[in-house]
Amino acid sequence: MSSVEQKPQQPNNDNITHFGYKTVDKSEKESMVASVFHSVAKQYDIMNDLMSFGIHRLWKRFTIDASGVRPGNKVLDLAGGTGDLTAKFSKLVGKDGQVILADINSSMLNVGRDKLRDKGLVQNIEYVQANAEYLPFEENTFDIITIAFGLRNVTDKDKALRSMYSVLKPGGRLLVLEFSKPEHELLNKAYDFYSFNILPKMGELVAKDGDSYQYLAESIRMHPDQETLKEMMNNAGFEQTSYHNLTGGVVALHKGYKF
Amino acid sequence: MTISMAAITDQLMLKQALSSALEKVINKALELNVNDNSALKTLEAKQLTLLLDELGFPLTFTVSSNQVLVTNLTDSDCTVITSINTLKKLKASQQLTDYIKQDLLDIQGDLKIAQQYLNLAENLEIDWQNELAHYIGDIPTYQLSRVAHFAQTKLHFAKTQIQADLSEWLVHEKKLIVSASELNDFNGQVTQTVARFDKLQQRLEKLTKHINEG
Repeated sequence: MSSVEQKPQQPNNDNITHFGYKTVDKSEKESMVASVFHSVAKQYDIMNDLMSFGIHRLWKRFTIDASGVRPGNKVLDLAGGTGDLTAKFSKLVGKDGQVILADINSSMLNVGRDKLRDKGLVQNIEYVQANAEYLPFEENTFDIITIAFGLRNVTDKDKALRSMYSVLKPGGRLLVLEFSKPEHELLNKAYDFYSFNILPKMGELVAKDGDSYQYLAESIRMHPDQETLKEMMNNAGFEQTSYHNLTGGVVALHKGYKF
Repeated sequence: MTISMAAITDQLMLKQALSSALEKVINKALELNVNDNSALKTLEAKQLTLLLDELGFPLTFTVSSNQVLVTNLTDSDCTVITSINTLKKLKASQQLTDYIKQDLLDIQGDLKIAQQYLNLAENLEIDWQNELAHYIGDIPTYQLSRVAHFAQTKLHFAKTQIQADLSEWLVHEKKLIVSASELNDFNGQVTQTVARFDKLQQRLEKLTKHINEG
């Protein structure tokens, strides 16, 4: 039997939010998420491969293909973690382009920087420790912004989306790759069983941290579904917003433009 | 609820799986190439999109730091629209214009980039025996090569024999296909009929003219 706990309602109080299924003060969430990622940073890539059976690589490729990136573009890889998207973007934008790998978590940023430098990717990448809610860039700076598996960890998602909108150039696009709601009930049940029974055990075995992976499963369930996120992007000012379900809706890629 | 083929392809990310596999194969081939890979330098940051009739989605090649990236991006410096069959036949750069004239190939954008990518592909040569010897040793490689050569000769012989037997069976046993001599004979008869028809038409025209004048 699956040990999925009852998913709590969205909080009504403006000062509280969710950390997985727990209700916490907004000021606490950032540091709680930070401790999760400090804990898993070194094993992040191997855990991604294990948990997704390697499919996360295809989800990220899909994001690159949907980005329409061109040589010379300026790209912000937000919550870029260990730099999978940055590595590809860096090669595609070439020497005339630039990629900024931004993450709120210093441990993730360090792992990403070491990995990319080991791959010889140095010439057009910059590293910035930044909070998605308060992006430290000038308005109209980027052609493309991506945030892959990061938005659900942000405390105030609406504020973060508005911040992204602000730093995008007119004509630029935002791509949000995130876990979402499976389209079919059967898949949903199998996915729940996997997330709440197998995933934390894998985390315990490989990363020696079952709690962080329990949070991962809970935070995915608390993340807005496809239509809600699309509406949030519209509210932030994005136009022509759309989404693509991948792997039966386990993951969705949302896309929106700034005109 | 109907689900389109494109939606299934998207859901399963087949395009991305193919690009990923192709990227690995190309870069491994470049790594094993016994010839010089200097052509890669001239192609740095240049993109070529291949639109194959059979695939229905683009494959875009980008050279970066002596490696080839394969994506499904649609916008690039040069787009080649063709079929797998034509692609297999492409050998020399000068053939590009021949194929364009024959409508087997369409190129949009910088033709030079297509030629440079073609040169890169032509330049690939892998010493398979040498590579295999790294894994299984010299003597097993030599023996395996002999077996492979023997099998290839036998297979070629069997293929030729089967083709000949099949054509005999279709022409003589089943009479589903006519023989070359029968076809020539038929062609001759058609030519004669056409000639007779032309003569008859000329006589008719003369007769019509004669009646009109009279």
